Amino acid sequence: MNERLEWDSYLEKVGLYKDKAAFAAVFKHFSPLLKSFLMKSGGQDSASVEELVQETWIKVWRKAPHFSSKQGSASTWIYTIARNTRIDAIRTQVRQNPDRLNAEDIYADYPTEAPHTSLVQLRNKRFVSEELRKLPAEQAEVLALMYFRGKSGQQVADTLNLPLGTVKSRIRLALAKMKLALPGSIAERQTGATEND
Amino acid sequence: MIKNHPDADLLAEYTAGVMALAPTISVTTHLQFCNSCKSTVKALEELGGEMLEQADAVPVSDDLLEQIFACVEEDETSEDSLLTRPTTIDEVASSIPAYLQKFLPEGKLHWKFLSPSVKVAPISVGETVHELALHKIKVGGKVPEHNHLGKEITVVLKGSFSDEDGVYQRGDFMVREAGEIHQPIAATHEECICLSVLAAPFKLTGLKRWLNPFLSFSPS
Repeated sequence: MNERLEWDSYLEKVGLYKDKAAFAAVFKHFSPLLKSFLMKSGGQDSASVEELVQETWIKVWRKAPHFSSKQGSASTWIYTIARNTRIDAIRTQVRQNPDRLNAEDIYADYPTEAPHTSLVQLRNKRFVSEELRKLPAEQAEVLALMYFRGKSGQQVADTLNLPLGTVKSRIRLALAKMKLALPGSIAERQTGATEND
Repeated sequence: MIKNHPDADLLAEYTAGVMALAPTISVTTHLQFCNSCKSTVKALEELGGEMLEQADAVPVSDDLLEQIFACVEEDETSEDSLLTRPTTIDEVASSIPAYLQKFLPEGKLHWKFLSPSVKVAPISVGETVHELALHKIKVGGKVPEHNHLGKEITVVLKGSFSDEDGVYQRGDFMVREAGEIHQPIAATHEECICLSVLAAPFKLTGLKRWLNPFLSFSPS
């Protein structure tokens, strides 16, 4: 079985049966990656990063019944939970009274009209995965600063001492290469997005 | 049909979670109307998942898994935090994202007079860099020609309006850079309601900051 589909099915088992062995397998694979992700974006010490890792896993456990491999892969789903955990942690840090809004509320999971089949999804993921590895260093760097270091376009521009326009165009070029969006403006993915209004 | 969408780099910022709260809310609002962008965001989340997969592994403590199991066993009963929605919401209030509704006192919008054609209902989300509000332009109402002092994002929730550059309908997402001048006019058959996010700097305080756009008001 493909390793990636394996994580999906493990996660579904966690959701359906509260399967601890399946959870442990997913945990073992993703924890070191999550720690890396949360460490880079938060920059805190190892102990507080692990608190965020722990918080992420507790949410994964609780929300697992909502996970569906038809809506996305395990790594994507775990990424969004870790991202939301990071956003809430930063927001709590900078404000005494954390506001009443959680990242989870804002990034409400609106199911897309046409869920991908596992196979199409896997093919897309593989393509993105390969293209991501092949990105020119300058484009990969911008994406890493944004996704991993949690920097906005303007902050990336400041960090790299580049005009904002250059940062934006690097992002657009990278996304176009991975067929995630066409450069310039937003466009449908080539994998079958549908326009509606 | 929605013609105006956030640029891809904006959706990337949104997906990476690096946007301030108010602009994030404006994008989520657009996504409620736009399947195309929703699908792009999904794809960008897949990119996030892929980047996670390709991260350099950093070992975690040996007892972390045990700690997590201990935590989840402790509160087996607690569920995801569910939002308590206000019981009375008016028609407009119900068209804004559900999570935003809890910021409305008693689920209602409090419209304030801004000009003969325009009313504003500020929504405080506890953010300091941007201001979030709904604007209502009456049927056929003309907004005085104005200059944007800060960047402004507008999402049409109801009705439509037009300006020199085009017609904007329900779900349309527009970004106006500081310094751009325009004069929106609501359609003649229906009032127009928009969600707006205004970026600092604010030269005026309180409600009057929403008059900001009208500082360069030129009677026409």
